[in-house]
Amino acid sequence: MTTGALIFARNNEEIDYVAMAQWSAKNIERHLGIPTHIITDDAVNNNTRHFTDVGNVTWHNHNRMDAYRLSPWDRTLVLDADYVVASDQLKVLLEIDQDFLAHRWAYDVTGCNNFEGLNYFGDHRMPMWWATVMMFRKSKHAELIFDSMQMIRDNWTHYRNLYKSTTATYRNDHALSIALGIVNGHTLDHNSVPWALASLTPEHRLTQLDQDSYRVDFINTENRARWIELRQDFHAMGKQHLGEIVASNS
Amino acid sequence: MNTDELVAHGRSRFEHAVARRTLKEKYQAKLTFAYASGMWLAGPELLSTLSACTSPDSVILDLYDTPVKVQTREFRDQVRSHWQEQMNAWLVEYEELNKNR
Repeated sequence: MTTGALIFARNNEEIDYVAMAQWSAKNIERHLGIPTHIITDDAVNNNTRHFTDVGNVTWHNHNRMDAYRLSPWDRTLVLDADYVVASDQLKVLLEIDQDFLAHRWAYDVTGCNNFEGLNYFGDHRMPMWWATVMMFRKSKHAELIFDSMQMIRDNWTHYRNLYKSTTATYRNDHALSIALGIVNGHTLDHNSVPWALASLTPEHRLTQLDQDSYRVDFINTENRARWIELRQDFHAMGKQHLGEIVASNS
Repeated sequence: MNTDELVAHGRSRFEHAVARRTLKEKYQAKLTFAYASGMWLAGPELLSTLSACTSPDSVILDLYDTPVKVQTREFRDQVRSHWQEQMNAWLVEYEELNKNR
């Protein structure tokens, strides 16, 4: 069975997501031993040549729901460019008999923020599945999930009203959560990644200590400066500090 | 009663509880592993289940409530080894946490 990772990266004026994805591809290769394809709407960049089996797919108007169609592998990990792979934790997702998995829960690694609000969406408090890390196997079930995400994206106003989403902006997390509901018969009984997504919010300072360890500086509830060391995978929700780390590594 | 001291103590306890919870989240992830295409959480509950299985092969439910056929002894050894490996790492970090308190 072939396996690989997909990262969607689209630069904006502030953040070099492509560089972030290229850096992440190296971490994925090192820890998970699988190839990565970076999907971007930028021209193919020669800087990618040093990755093992890394390809760039030029794609306009790309979306997360295109992952199913774009993936050349039997089993695929779809990762956000700002998800830091610092261990082999995700390997376990590649060895099990499941068609689709995503995180149901996320938490703040500093404990400063309660993610209760972020783990649900809309006025009806619908449970939210995070699209930050998705594992899928080529199957009818996974195909329907991605097709449903496409349908939801294309009819976002309707679904936003239906689920009483409080934000007008389209979010992949919301579309994924709605899609999982539709595909699984609105049972809310979806298999998930069996651990919570470690997350770091933008107000905390992130620096790199060594190749796979990071320092997070934050102000605790006593208004005191504190720091913790992270030696695990995490979602860097603040892109600026991660961007600086990536730049210093290139 | 010195209320400033009380507030400081309460906050300190809160911070410690948060740090402990975060550590637990981390090791809940690390205790998860794959075997025979199933997903498992290494720990006393799984070990107890396997101890109750006397046949060379057993069928037990994984984390997704999927019945999976396992080789009892091999799987039990793997669970025990993975569990203690991660618990030792957890202990090291826990002691570090208490030291910094």
